[in-house]
Amino acid sequence: MAIYNSIRCNWKHEENLVGNEQGARWMKKLMEPYVFVNAWRFLMVGVLIHLWIIGDSMSSSFILILLLLITTSLRWRFPLPIWFVFIDVFICSLYFPYTAISYYGLALPIFELARKGKALFSLVLFSVLFFTSVSSSILFWFFFQALFFGVFSYIAIKNQEEYRLDVDEQRRARYELEKIKTDLLEANQLVSQEAELMERYRISRELHDHLGHDLTGASLALQAYEYVQDPKEAETLLQEVKNRLERSTKNLRETVHNMTPITQIGVERLEKIMQSFYQVEIKYQKSGNMLTVPAYIWGLLESCLKEALTNVARHSNATKVEIDLQVTESIVRLSIQDNGTVKKNSLSGSGLRSLQMRSRSMGGSLAISNRENGFILVCVIPLEKES
Amino acid sequence: MTVFKFALKRSFSNIANLVFLTLFPVACIFLPRGEEWPFLPYGYQYFGIIILFIGIRLAAIILEDREKGVVKRLAVAPISHFNYLSQNLLAYSVILILQCAIVVYGGVLFGQELYQPGWLFLLYVSFSFASLAIALAWISIYRKKDVAFLIYMSLIFIVVVLGGLIIPVEMFPDLLKRMAVILPTYWLGQGLNWVVFGEEILDFLIINGVLWLYTIVFVVIGSTRKI
Repeated sequence: MAIYNSIRCNWKHEENLVGNEQGARWMKKLMEPYVFVNAWRFLMVGVLIHLWIIGDSMSSSFILILLLLITTSLRWRFPLPIWFVFIDVFICSLYFPYTAISYYGLALPIFELARKGKALFSLVLFSVLFFTSVSSSILFWFFFQALFFGVFSYIAIKNQEEYRLDVDEQRRARYELEKIKTDLLEANQLVSQEAELMERYRISRELHDHLGHDLTGASLALQAYEYVQDPKEAETLLQEVKNRLERSTKNLRETVHNMTPITQIGVERLEKIMQSFYQVEIKYQKSGNMLTVPAYIWGLLESCLKEALTNVARHSNATKVEIDLQVTESIVRLSIQDNGTVKKNSLSGSGLRSLQMRSRSMGGSLAISNRENGFILVCVIPLEKES
Repeated sequence: MTVFKFALKRSFSNIANLVFLTLFPVACIFLPRGEEWPFLPYGYQYFGIIILFIGIRLAAIILEDREKGVVKRLAVAPISHFNYLSQNLLAYSVILILQCAIVVYGGVLFGQELYQPGWLFLLYVSFSFASLAIALAWISIYRKKDVAFLIYMSLIFIVVVLGGLIIPVEMFPDLLKRMAVILPTYWLGQGLNWVVFGEEILDFLIINGVLWLYTIVFVVIGSTRKI
């Protein structure tokens, strides 16, 4: 029964959501300027029908209204060219001698001209005011409101189109930016791998140049030593071997010393950050072979750690932070958990969002949750198997 | 013309439609004459009402298509909406024209006094098209067939009464008399009067012209593609 109730609740909730969505769509449709333009057009036809009913025109002049209704509904259905207003003017002018409604009907072409941004041309139609027998002052205001609303819709529609173009352009720019961002992250990874390969090559060359030469010499001298009969000569050879080995040991030490970076990298860098963070007590533990983690991942982990610790210092009332770093054969996982109780929506922070994106671009994930007993951040990145 | 053939077959597919499309029109032939008004036999005066009903009955098939999702599937099929709509309307028009022919010429054979059967047939055909177009525009508003049909039925009664098919327009107060002109049924009534008393052919052509204008307006409004 409980399950049934929960399903029903869910279903109702979904139904509400769908209803809301439909309502929102309807609202959006209603807000379109074209809805008002069409409503105005049909309203004008309504006004003409009203004029016909209260007037004393003949039944046959009702055809005029029907013809105008046809042009109006055609405008509603299809985007018609501007010259189509001549048809309205022509229809109205045919009925000038028979009914006064035909003069009122000219409001429709006036509106259409103004709506297309040709308000000046529509002023020509105002000239009928001088020839008509109907009350020209009322007719003037009738024409004037048509012109006014036409100009208004022209501006509204033009603005809407401009906004739409603008939004489209901005959206395109945003997509491009996101793409560039992803490309950059990928390039970063690639560069890091390249750098590692170059470094390996440099080390192998250094070893070859400085050590290989002496060690090969020593080895050859030792081989020659076996065949030498003269003890004095053997003594010299042995001394030579000794010298060479000493020199190569020294070279090895120097090479290793030269190649060891002064700046700390990898896990040591992380530990250094933890040591320099003194606001809150940190409990740290690690497991696994840290050497299998490539440099670009260390970069991300370092950023994660810094961001999390900064957040703890800034927003949290935590007194303790637990940091756990695990490296297995296939993944590296960093979890940072505090015991803060302040509920704050940190998900909106741009720092964490960017970290999430970076971890996604490496095929991993960054999860953040604000639980009852503290805030937890877990970053999991897969390790690529070296081929 | 697959859609056309299929629409013809579908129109006669259920009993309700069969009754509407065949029995009612045939029954019209046998209705008696009124004493003073209407001038034509009752069956011919009220055939306009039946045409309105048949119009919505046929157009509701398109609504049924929309309800069942057929229109959605047609949207991705290699057939245009214009094709689908025009072939459907053509099929319905053929049915309506046939009915008009049966009613008018059946009446002639039966011996009813119809004054000018040829012009009467033309008037019925014009009104059939107008009725079909109005029904098409009407169903374009709705998504549910039953709701559309029920509301339209009640509307038909108002239109028929105000249009002067059941009560003569001359009895109406002035304002209603003027308002009646807006309704297509008024023009049908005027047409029927012309068939009985008509002299000027131009008047009759204007009446038919108005009905055709109604047809164009409502076809333009009703032909929107709604999925």
